[in-house]
Amino acid sequence: MFGTYGLSTTLKGDDIEIIVEGEGKKKRYFRRAGKDEIEKVIFADGGNLVVCPVEPVNLPQDGVAEHLLIELNKPLIIEPGVKNTIFVKFPIEIGVFLVDKRDVELIDIFTRIKPKYTLYGPPESGIICKWWKSDIFDDKPSVKKLYEGILKVDISNKYYEWVELTKMVFDAYSMKVFYNHSAYIHAHLIIVNKTIGETTFITRRPKDMQGSLDIYISRGVKKLEKKFIMEWRFK
Amino acid sequence: MIILFSLSEILDYKIADIPLINVLTFIFIILVAFALGKIIRLNIRRALKDKLQKTTVKTLEKSIYYISIMIGFVVALPQIGVSLSGLLVAGGIMGIVLGFASQTVVSNLISGLFLLIERPIEIGDGINIGDTSGIVKDIKILSTTIRNYDGIYVRLPNDKVFNSTIQNYDAHGARRFTYNVGIRYRDDAEKAMRIILSLLDKHSFVLKEPSSEIFVEELGDSGVNLSIRIWTPSVVWYSVYKELLWKIKVTLEENGIEIPFPQRVVWMKENIKK
Repeated sequence: MFGTYGLSTTLKGDDIEIIVEGEGKKKRYFRRAGKDEIEKVIFADGGNLVVCPVEPVNLPQDGVAEHLLIELNKPLIIEPGVKNTIFVKFPIEIGVFLVDKRDVELIDIFTRIKPKYTLYGPPESGIICKWWKSDIFDDKPSVKKLYEGILKVDISNKYYEWVELTKMVFDAYSMKVFYNHSAYIHAHLIIVNKTIGETTFITRRPKDMQGSLDIYISRGVKKLEKKFIMEWRFK
Repeated sequence: MIILFSLSEILDYKIADIPLINVLTFIFIILVAFALGKIIRLNIRRALKDKLQKTTVKTLEKSIYYISIMIGFVVALPQIGVSLSGLLVAGGIMGIVLGFASQTVVSNLISGLFLLIERPIEIGDGINIGDTSGIVKDIKILSTTIRNYDGIYVRLPNDKVFNSTIQNYDAHGARRFTYNVGIRYRDDAEKAMRIILSLLDKHSFVLKEPSSEIFVEELGDSGVNLSIRIWTPSVVWYSVYKELLWKIKVTLEENGIEIPFPQRVVWMKENIKK
């Protein structure tokens, strides 16, 4: 389903249907994901349709959260000084873009996941995050491709004490999503001390993958290289 | 020696009966006033450019710039023999008049500055100030404008905003609201609480953490009263608040649990019965 298509295409799979049809400049865009349907009219001479996973913080309502919180099913206890890599799953949202040489426009976004939100930190200063619960995997797990993606996290405990980790928070603005058959993100978590950590993303594209179109860039928001400071503990 | 003599002679030179030294002091004070005005103006621009509208910042920086220059003239004018005593008497009376007239303006101005420093509200926040509720549209130097929930433009003077109790519904990311739901005495309260919790868990905007709370709050006259406390993102709380109560009622009824009507047991005396 993910990929670049001409402006006359039919995509079907996993209870999702995307159709762009019509003669001449006027096209009909139709998308169904489960019971959720949307229809739009497109006027275009050329251009392409790109379907790809996007930063998973936009649905059901944009502007509610800008962070993704992954809660681990089992706590992870990390020795001082140890570096390790884990894999977790994250919920995906699928973006449909119209692309031509001059501009990129997000025309639709949908998900097959029932979204849930949580608060990271205290009510007076905490942040609202999109919430997802995942097992920890040693290797790339198999995922339901239109539902979940793979998040690789390099964890480094730079503190001199053991640290127990049950949640990781990532900033959607600096997130970089890649895809081939499924969605993929590569992140770093540096444990600074017992309560504070930093999460960042690797933006280098893996060999066999393509970079997703950034939803924030398509909306005209400038992306700044930045890290997220987890300042309200790891559990 | 010759040079010193020459210099003192030069300084004693008079322009329209004013010694040159006084003229030079006058010019120096004015130049310092201009320079200070510019420095203050620049700093005000830097400090407030992200906090205030461009036009407000311009007005403020201009006012302070001209006030600095005015103070410079007041300090410098006696150097060239212009007496300010007459002006001060007139200015004093004028000042009293203006002081009374501009009391509220100054109060609003100072309150506006404190509002900008303390920042209890920001543009776009949902707030309640006194008997006004709505969305903050603008915070100007003298007043704050609000669009109330009926869509009406409301202008509040800043001293009223500053001196009132402000409730800001969007200051924190999450907020809690409470429903009180009664069930019949013959219904199982624990089952009702499980059903409601399950319903809340399925709702996207009911936060995972802090988790919702449900407990029996009161054994009421007509039924068992449950208190349901729900945390949601502040930006969507009202839509969740409107949506969930009816869903709770319907779900409870689907599971055979009903909301009781007010009821009263009346005992009749036996002889009356006969």
